[in-house]
Parts: sequence; C-alpha cells; structure tokens
Amino acid sequence: MDKNKTVLKVVDVWKSYDELEVLKGVSLELAEQEVKVIFGPSGSGKSTLLRCINMLNAPDKGEIYLSGQNLTTSGINLNAMRAKIGMVFQHFNLFSHLKAIDNVSVALRRVKGLTKEEAREEALNALNQVKMVEWAEHYPAQLSGGQQQRVGIARALAMKPDLILFDEPTSALDPELIGEVLQVMLEIAKAGTTMVVVTHEMGFARAVASEMIFLDQGIVIERGTPEHFFDSPESERVKHFLRQINILYGYHEELIKEYNEDEKR
Amino acid sequence: MIFQQLPKELVDFLRVLGYWDNILIGLAKTMWLYVWALLIGFFLGLLLALLRQYGGRILSRIATGYIEIVRGTPLLVQLFFIYFLPFSINTFLQAQGLPYIPIGRWSLYVTSNLFGRTVTMVFLDHITLIGILTLGLNSAAYQAEYFRGAVISIGGGQLEAAQSLGMSRRSGVLHIVLPQALRRVIPAWSNEAAYLPKYTVLVIYIGLSELFAQAHYIISETFLTLSVYILVALIFLVIITIISKALDILYKRTAIPGL
Repeated sequence: MDKNKTVLKVVDVWKSYDELEVLKGVSLELAEQEVKVIFGPSGSGKSTLLRCINMLNAPDKGEIYLSGQNLTTSGINLNAMRAKIGMVFQHFNLFSHLKAIDNVSVALRRVKGLTKEEAREEALNALNQVKMVEWAEHYPAQLSGGQQQRVGIARALAMKPDLILFDEPTSALDPELIGEVLQVMLEIAKAGTTMVVVTHEMGFARAVASEMIFLDQGIVIERGTPEHFFDSPESERVKHFLRQINILYGYHEELIKEYNEDEKR
Repeated sequence: MIFQQLPKELVDFLRVLGYWDNILIGLAKTMWLYVWALLIGFFLGLLLALLRQYGGRILSRIATGYIEIVRGTPLLVQLFFIYFLPFSINTFLQAQGLPYIPIGRWSLYVTSNLFGRTVTMVFLDHITLIGILTLGLNSAAYQAEYFRGAVISIGGGQLEAAQSLGMSRRSGVLHIVLPQALRRVIPAWSNEAAYLPKYTVLVIYIGLSELFAQAHYIISETFLTLSVYILVALIFLVIITIISKALDILYKRTAIPGL
C-alpha cells in the first residue's frame, strides 16, 4: 500500500445547507487503486461528501486534494480537475438525447478535444469494459436501468480519471438488475480503478473495499476493513445499522447468524 | 346552371374576393410581421430564458424584470410607447441642436404588376420596423418563459453530469441541456406561434395596412361587413392550422427514440 501514491485527500470538510449541517468535519485519504466504501443511513451526508469531492457543491470549510492539488483554492480550473474525477449517479443522469456511444464520447470530444474517430474508438473500448458494445447505437430510454447504469460507468471510465465516485449506483435499480452493475463494478475495481463508492451493497464492500467508512449525521462514526465491520463492529450505531441492512438484503451468513443470536438473547 | 340566380351570400363573397390584391398585400404584410416577430422573439426569448436561469444574480434579475414588465403591460401600450419614442427622442435632440434620427426616410418596397393590378409590397418603412420590433420584443418575454420551463424540466442532473465530466457550464447548457429543451418546448411553444399571427392585427393602430386594415378598407368600399370578416377569420384559421400541423410534425420528427 505504501508504494501507491495518494490520489485523494479530504481534510476536515464541513458543509451546511442553510441551517442544516450535513458534514461536520469529515476526513479521508485514498491511495491509487484503492476502493473505499462509504455507508450510513439516509441523510448522513454520504452524497454530499461525494459532491464536495468533485466540487459540484463546494465545502464551506476544509480542503480537498486531488493528486496533491488543492481543489478548494480559488482560481483553480475546476472543469479541468473534474475531468479527472469520474462520477456515477444514482439516477444514471445519462444524456437522453444522445446514443449510448455518444454519451460516452461527448466529453472526450468537448473536454479532451479528441477527433470524432478517436473519441468513438475510446468510447467503444469503455463500452466494451461494461459489456455494452452491442447497445452502442441505442438511446438511454431504450435501455434497462442496469444497462443505463453500465453506460454511466463507461462514460466515467472513458475519461480515464484518477478516481471514480459512485453515488449509490444500484439503489435506483430493480433487484434483478443490480447484479449486472455490481459485477461490472467488481471487475473495474479488480482492474485497479481507484474508487469511492457510496453503497449499501455489503457483498460488494466485502469483496473489494480496502476500507469502509460509516457516516452518520455528518460525522465518521467508525472506519475499518470489511472484516472489522462484519466480525466486530465497535459502536452500537453501526451494529444496529448493519442488522437493518441485513434484514433488507440479507445475504451474509455470518451476520444473519449473529443477528439470530442477538434475537435469542 | 342549378341556380336561376346565385345566392346572395355567394355573390357578396365573390365581390369581396374581387379585392384579392388588397387581401394579398394585407396577408403578405401580416406574415412578414409574424415571421420577423417570431424570429426576434425566438432568439431574444432564448437569451432571456438562459440569462434568467443561469445568468447569475444581476443578469437574471434584469431578464426577470424585462419579462415581467412586458408580460404585465398591454401590448397596445407597448406599441404606442415604441411608436412615439423616436419622436420624443428627436424632439429632444432638435431642442439641443443635435442631428435627429431620420426614421421617416427608412424604406424598402417593391412595386410589381400582377394580373393587371399594381401591387406594392412594403418590406420596410418606419412603422413596419416599429411593428416588427414591438411584436418581437413582446413575444420574446412569452417565449422566454416557455424556454425556461423546458430548461428547468430537463433538470439540473443533466448539467451536473456534464460538469462532472469536466464540461464547463456554458458547454453543458449548449450541448446537453439546450438540445433537449428545444425539443421538449415545441408543444408549449406552439401556443406562442399560434397566438402571434392574431396579435399582429394590433398594428392597425399605428397605421400599418396588414390584413385587418385591408379588411376595413374593403368594408368601407363594399359595406359587406360579415363576408369580409368571415374571409379574414378563414385566412387566419388556415394559417394557424398550417403552423400547428407543421410544429406537430417537427415535434415527432425530432423526438428522442424511446422517450
């Protein structure tokens, strides 16, 4: 891990909307090829944290460093920096007037200045990574949710960003479509993509997360490896939350066992 | 002959049609005003909508103010205001001993001979200019709100997605939001496209001889009030039906597959 350089450093980030304090001093650090999973109850500030990282919502206080460059200093070219931070949205946010291929290639042309042919080739590569090449000429409305989200991932991948942010990428999907998206995410994670993933998919977290962060009411309550969380979480808040997730998703035998034992007591 | 004598209504109507050159000149004028006003309204309206939505604190307030003032005052008042404004300015300039705006001298017209009648088409003179300007400036405010509605309905998510890829706000609005908003706006916008030809009749008050003014002339010659008004109504009905149908086709042709 030491040999990998730091890609992202979030230092004591605060953010409030009017009276509502959403983030109260969150810090984290992400090395190259690392996958970080952020989870927590709704309203805990997970999405806001991601939106602060790529400066769609600038934090009120604190610093964000991308490969050593401070994004929160004034005068920085945020557009250029955002090109290095991919984002995958909960509701996909595909450009509905563009075919899948053009969704992926539009920024390659407009931001990276590639020619039409170069952009098309790169876009096809990215679509191939998410197994969507045969759907390249389809419009988003002609695709299923899972397919749309895979195009969303390809759109982020094609820019070859330093890291990709995933904002609950599977929570707007029908249950039977979640698998195909998670599989793609596992593959790109294993291929060495640096990722920050907000998700409640604990199976995914267990498989690839180097660290998990539990966020509640804008504060990091607990952080550690997946093993730590699944074997011996410290705080009651986390235990309770993991049980809730388990009731909903319920495919972790250890947790189910633990939950049952708790119930017997 | 089925009829011994043609019914009176038909005779009247045919007599009105005998003034086809007046009707033609009037119709051409109406369409001329309409097309230019719609075009000015389109581009200015689009600009106003984007300024109001994305222009930042000052520009969005200016755009909002313009839209509200125009929508909140009668078109006829706006017409007289713009009509008299150059005269007031000229009075002021002359009082100061400064050169005045030679508005009366601007003109562009074509006279031709059509089936033995002299037909003069005035493309530009100062009242035509004022008519076009007023209708265009007025239409812009209404069109702006249609455009803004469409832009809002496309949603911030599309712009955010564009920005998250490194596109600038301007580029995101231009390449991502607008292409979708302009498609979506067509059904609502067709309202304005259908209203505007009918609003052109107001320019009769500043002395422009469009279709309605020509109708008045024909009435004064023939006293066939009902026939003339029915003819005018029919002409508007046909024009607006064509416009609506054309926009319908445009909407279907530009529809995004699957949506």
